[in-house]
Amino acid sequence: MAYLIRFISRNAAGGSEHHDRRIETSRITIGRSTDQVLHLKDRRARLEHAVIEPGDNGARITSSAIAGVTVNGKSQRDANLTVGDVIEVGANIIRVIEPPTGYEFAISFELSEEAAEEQLMSSWSTPTTGLGGFGKRKLSWALAAIVIVFGFAIPKLIGETFLQAGPLHSVHQGTSGDCKSCHVTAFERVPDAACIDCHTVNRHTAPPQSAVLGETRCASCHLEHNEPAQLINQHQGLCADCHADVPASAALPNAADFLDDHPGFQVALQRPTGNDPVDWHIERFELAAPGLEDLSNLKFDHRVHLDPDGIVTPDGNRVLACAECHTPDPGGARMQPIAMDQHCSGCHTLAFDADDPSRTVPHGDANAVVQTLVEYYSARLLGADPDEVGQRLRRPGQALTRADRDRAAAEARTKALEIAEDLFERRACVTCHTVTQTDGEVPWHVQPVRLTQVFFPHANFSHAAHATEVSSCDGCHNASQSDAATDVLIPDIDSCRSCHGSGDARRNASTQVPSTCVMCHSFHAEAREPYP
Amino acid sequence: MQASILAFKQRRYLWAALLLVIVCLLAYWFDDPQEPANGGTVLGYTLGTLGALMIAWLTWYGVRKRRYSSTSGSVQGWLSAHVYFGLALLVIVLLHTGFQFGWNIHTLAFVIMVLVIVSGLYGVYIYRQYPHRLSENRGGASRSDLLDELDDIDRRSRRVAARLTPEYQAFVTSGIQRTELGSTLWQRLQNADRSRIQLPGSATAVDNKGQEAAMDWLAEQQSRADADTAATIAELSALLRNKRKLLRQVGEDLRLQAGLEIWLYAHVPLTAALLMALLAHIVSVFLYW
Repeated sequence: MAYLIRFISRNAAGGSEHHDRRIETSRITIGRSTDQVLHLKDRRARLEHAVIEPGDNGARITSSAIAGVTVNGKSQRDANLTVGDVIEVGANIIRVIEPPTGYEFAISFELSEEAAEEQLMSSWSTPTTGLGGFGKRKLSWALAAIVIVFGFAIPKLIGETFLQAGPLHSVHQGTSGDCKSCHVTAFERVPDAACIDCHTVNRHTAPPQSAVLGETRCASCHLEHNEPAQLINQHQGLCADCHADVPASAALPNAADFLDDHPGFQVALQRPTGNDPVDWHIERFELAAPGLEDLSNLKFDHRVHLDPDGIVTPDGNRVLACAECHTPDPGGARMQPIAMDQHCSGCHTLAFDADDPSRTVPHGDANAVVQTLVEYYSARLLGADPDEVGQRLRRPGQALTRADRDRAAAEARTKALEIAEDLFERRACVTCHTVTQTDGEVPWHVQPVRLTQVFFPHANFSHAAHATEVSSCDGCHNASQSDAATDVLIPDIDSCRSCHGSGDARRNASTQVPSTCVMCHSFHAEAREPYP
Repeated sequence: MQASILAFKQRRYLWAALLLVIVCLLAYWFDDPQEPANGGTVLGYTLGTLGALMIAWLTWYGVRKRRYSSTSGSVQGWLSAHVYFGLALLVIVLLHTGFQFGWNIHTLAFVIMVLVIVSGLYGVYIYRQYPHRLSENRGGASRSDLLDELDDIDRRSRRVAARLTPEYQAFVTSGIQRTELGSTLWQRLQNADRSRIQLPGSATAVDNKGQEAAMDWLAEQQSRADADTAATIAELSALLRNKRKLLRQVGEDLRLQAGLEIWLYAHVPLTAALLMALLAHIVSVFLYW
């Protein structure tokens, strides 16, 4: 479609002159944007203000502007155009004129020189403020509002973890992120009652700690939401604040730092009282005390059992390992008790008859030993092998006479006691036990044995935690050099200090692990009867 | 002037801020709390309170600089202190966090604070560089001098075009009308020349960046024109070359001016966000005490 645009301008003399432009296009775009066909210099015009294009009845103008266009003095959004119509956009006047031959539509347009000058300057001389229409102030309000929504509204909707100062410890995941299970009242500290809901705390409030703790809340030491997580206060000061300077009257040595301010270890050892029945009690001794003996009543030689050349066993010559007898308990902390039938009887069989090595006497009861032997030999003399009883001839099927039976029983008993004496005094029992002679039907007494299970009842020690490539059993216990069961094979404080140092890492040698009091000791110590 | 903000009074605020940082670092080094370092230890609360007060005071600078009748020190001194204590704040709040970070409102507040400080640092850089470049670019003239010059070229172009056919007049008018420089902030920051021109015989306007399309068209007309007309066209071309130079200069001026202002569009709104995040941080900490 061919349009004519007649640009009218005023010359210096005040007269008007015009020049025409022919435009081959389907539509005349009108607006303030520089890519419009009719480029208006008026701020009241939109960037793309209006479009003139062919309609059903000749040309038609449509405007996307809210104000629309004024056609013949009437403001409207769209209108059909006929010759003589006057369109106003801001101060601009566009007239629809009679199209000359060869044109289908024509308009005239007069550009105000003043408007042009004004616009020329304004597009870049006025400082533009803001980003995309936002001033600093609007932007500030917007950002502040976003943050407030993030801080308060969103946590209300998606859960309050967004307000957590740090992750919840895995042991408290059972609360399923319900803050109120601990933070009972807003703007109040976590009360002890919240802890007591789940935790039994009777031992936490026992003396002497209760006296020291006073009104201290659980959560002042047991802190959540930290990284690294530390629910248990590991700090040296937890104990050392008081134990660095214990009053002389307390009869308790100072203990402020494992590295150089800690008393030597005390071991709790079992002590037999009386002979029979033996009453055991526990006494604590300085580990460093000279001549300290573990009186377990056992005879045992670690050196022989750990001979690097091996030891004679039913399976031949074999080198024993510590772990064959000392097996950790399921938790890995302590060792399971040593038991004859599990750990010793493999080699130390209680067989009594070389001709019948599978028959053994029971362990642990002297009377039962003799009884077993009497029954064994009686059976042999009276039942299984009657020929054993003297050389007296009987007819086949003829029962023993009473006199024969008595004689056989006496013989069996004699034989049993003979074997028993051998077992008790020479071959078996006496190897490990102290056997004494007594009066009575069974004239032997075996001293009862009790092995100490817990040497340091006031410290927590885990063998599992020490199972590293740098530590061996012998490294701490030195059992391979011990030839008596009375040796106390418990490492002293210096042995521990080769790896464990001060709680203050800066004081330690490079090989030492920082070790605070609670690494071994509990603050809220449970009562540990019967240990003194 | 721009150097003296940092060097104000023998850098007294630098030394003061440095002293504050050193005291806080020493306190953090020697503090041995019975819990992992965090904002809730005695030192943590102390550093947190100090940090919050400093944020309030640093924000107050925005008010103080508009109080022209205020006699509490000079604005220059305030800005110097604002810069140095703003940097010190980064260290103090970092120590307050105990280096514990997570996906939460507390770390959000810290991150926003870092953004505010970084945008401020950029502002310091801008204020040390741009005023110098700005006056160098203007070559002693003011911006309105440059614009007047531009207007003068336009007027002269019209006068020269008046001696030619209306086609040339329309060409010059279109070139003037559709000259566009820095009408949006983004254009200013890029020194983007968005000028267009409607060449005679064309229905649409074409890109006229650096007045190139106009000069190309003139060169083409010049090659076909008679001697007299060619001389006039050459005159017009010379004017457009000058206009191109001026436009580049004005564009650079607008770019530098925009650069001087733009960082504040991050610094100020982020500060508003920081104040809200700080509020949310403090409230939520004590809400879940």
